Amino acid sequence: MDIVAGLSQGFAVALQPINLSYCFIGVFIGTLVGVLPGIGPVSAMSLLLPVTLSGTPEAGIIMMAGIYYGSMYGGSTTSILVNIPGEAASVVTCLDGHAMAKQGRAGPALGIAALGSFAAGTFALVALMLVAPALARVAIAFGPPEYFSLMVLGLTVLSFLSQGAMAKALLMAAVGIVLGLIGIDQITAQPRLTFGRLELLDGIGLVPIVMGLFGVAEILSNLEQELKREVIKARIGGLWPSLQDWAAAKWAIVRGTLLGFFLGILPGGGAVIASFASYAIEKKVSKTPERFGHGAIEGVAGPEAANNAAAGGAFIPLMTLGIPPNVVMALLLGAFIIHGLQPGPLLMTQRPDLFWGIVASMYIGNAMLLVLNMPLIGMWVQVLKLPYRILFPLILMFCIVGVFASGNAVFDVFVMVVFGVLGYLMRKFGYEPAPLVLAFVLGPMLENNLRKSLILSHGDFQIFIARPISAACLVLAVAALIAPLLPALARRRAALPIEP
Amino acid sequence: MGGPSHTKTFVRMLRNSELWGGLFWLLIGGFVVWAGHDMGLGRLHEPGPGFAFYWIGILMCALSLAVIGQALVAGGASLAALWAGTRWLKVSIVVVLLLAYGVGFEAIGFIPCTLALLLVLMWFVDPVDWRVALLVAAVSTFGVWAAMTKWLKIQLPAGVLEGFLR
Repeated sequence: MDIVAGLSQGFAVALQPINLSYCFIGVFIGTLVGVLPGIGPVSAMSLLLPVTLSGTPEAGIIMMAGIYYGSMYGGSTTSILVNIPGEAASVVTCLDGHAMAKQGRAGPALGIAALGSFAAGTFALVALMLVAPALARVAIAFGPPEYFSLMVLGLTVLSFLSQGAMAKALLMAAVGIVLGLIGIDQITAQPRLTFGRLELLDGIGLVPIVMGLFGVAEILSNLEQELKREVIKARIGGLWPSLQDWAAAKWAIVRGTLLGFFLGILPGGGAVIASFASYAIEKKVSKTPERFGHGAIEGVAGPEAANNAAAGGAFIPLMTLGIPPNVVMALLLGAFIIHGLQPGPLLMTQRPDLFWGIVASMYIGNAMLLVLNMPLIGMWVQVLKLPYRILFPLILMFCIVGVFASGNAVFDVFVMVVFGVLGYLMRKFGYEPAPLVLAFVLGPMLENNLRKSLILSHGDFQIFIARPISAACLVLAVAALIAPLLPALARRRAALPIEP
Repeated sequence: MGGPSHTKTFVRMLRNSELWGGLFWLLIGGFVVWAGHDMGLGRLHEPGPGFAFYWIGILMCALSLAVIGQALVAGGASLAALWAGTRWLKVSIVVVLLLAYGVGFEAIGFIPCTLALLLVLMWFVDPVDWRVALLVAAVSTFGVWAAMTKWLKIQLPAGVLEGFLR
C-alpha cells in the first residue's frame, strides 16, 4: 500500500465521529496535564489506560497518542506564564519564555511556542509516514537476537541519558526487568516471585506501577514543599509573532524540528533531552548568546519545536519494531497489548487502518491543538489559577480510580501506594524511575528473546555477535556503558536533564 | 583500635544515604539471585525459569556494590539532610491515609471513602476554605462515580451504600 492510499484510508478512520471525539478528548486532556504542574503525560496516560477498554482500539490509541503530543503543547503555557514547567519537556522554555512574559511579550512567546510546535509536529508526521514503512520492511528480517540486542541498547542508552550515577540508572533497569518477570513463566508455566498471591500470577500491572512511581510519588514530593505559583497578571494579547520574531525564530524551529525528530527515534531519547539539546544549540549558534535567559524568542521556538518533533519521532520504533523508546511509548505499547494488538513490522500490513488511522489522527490532533492553544489561551490561564492544595487531592482520587478500574482489584491500589512510597524514596536517594518502567515493559520481551536465541543457537552466545544488526546494537550498548568513563563525556552527561 | 576521628568517620559513614541505598538494593539483588537459583537455571541450550532472575540478580548485586563503593569513596548526603526543612509529616499522613483508604475501599465503598479522603486532605493536611473543600469533594466524588458507572460502565464498590446505589 503506498503512502497516499494509506493516508486516505487513515483519514477515513480518523474522521469517524467517535475517533474525532477521542482525538479531541486526548489532545484536550494532554493540554490540561501539560498546563497543570504536578501531573504529566505519563500519569495521565496510565490513568486513562482503562478508559480505552470501553472503545475500539483505534479510538483508545488515538486518545492516548493525543494526550502525549497534547501535553507537549500545554507544557509551554505554564512555563511561560508561571515559570514552572507544566511537564518535564518544557523546563527549558521557562528560561526565555517567562522572561518574555515579564517584558510584556507573553503573547508572542505563547504564539511562537504553539506555531513552532505545530510546524514541528506536522514535519514529524510526514517523516513518520516516510520512514516507518521502510523501517518496517527492514524489521521483518529481525529475529530474537536482534530484538534482544535492540532492547539491551534501548535500556543502556536510557540509563546513559538518565541523570545521576549511571550505576543507579542501570540498577533501576535491572529492578524493572525483575518486576516485569514476576508471574507465571510463559514457557514452563511455573509461578515466579508470586509469594503465593493469586493476584501476582498475571504479574504486576503496568498502571499501578506507573501511577505509583509518577503520580503518587510526584504528589508526595510536591507536598514536601509549599508550591507557590504566580501567574503573569497582564492581559495576554497579540499572540501572533511579529515579522521580526519570525525572522529570529524560523531557523530555530527548523533546527529544533530536525534535532527533535532524530532524538525521538533513538532508543532512550525523548522530548526532554531534545528540548535541552535544542536550547544548547540555539545558544551556541546565536550571534548574541547573552540574550538567552533574558527573553530570546529562539530560546522558546527551538526547544518547543524539538519536543514536539521528538514526540512524533518516538512513534517510529514503537510502530515499526514494537519497541518503545521511552516510558510514554511503553504505556502506548500497554494500550496496544490491552487491545490484543502487537505493534511491529506486521502492524502496517495486518492492520493498515489502525496504523494510518493513528497517523491521520495526529494531523487532525495537531490542528485541534493549534486552536486549543491560540484562541483558548485565556481558559488555560484560568486553569493555572487552581491552587495545588485543591488539585493534589483530586489527582490522588483520579490515581486511585484509574488504578482500580485497570484491574478491578483493591490489591492494585496497595501496589500503587507501595510504588508511590518507593518512587518518592527513589527521588530522595537519586534513583530515576524512567529506566525502571521501560525495563518493566521490555523485561518479558527481553527474557523471551534471550531464551529463544539461546535455544536457536543451542546455548551459543555467539549468535548475538554473529548477526550484524545484533552485533551493531551490542557495540553501541557497550559504547554507552563505557562512555561515562571518558571525562569529557562524563561532564556532558552530568549536565543532562531528567527524562521520563 | 580507632581513635575519636575513626569513630566520627564511622558514624558519618553510617549516616550516608548513598550507602544505605546501595545496601538496600544489594539485599534485594541477593534475594533475586537466590530466588532465580531456587526456580531452576536450566541449561544454556534450554534456559530455565530462574535463568534471567539469577543473572539479573547478579547484575543488581554488582551495580549495588558499585553504588556502595562510590558512597564510601565520595560520601553522600546524610539521611537527615534528605528530609531537613521538608513537610515530611504531611507526606507520612498522606501515605497512611491512602493505605487506610485501600483497607476500607471495598467494605465501606467508593463514595464514603473518597469523600472522607478528600475532606481530610483539604481540611487538615493542606487546608483550604471548608466550604470550597466540601463543594470540591462532593462534586468530584459524585461526578467520578457517575462517569465511571454510567458512562464507562466500570463498577466501583458501593459498600455501605449498596442499597441506595443499585
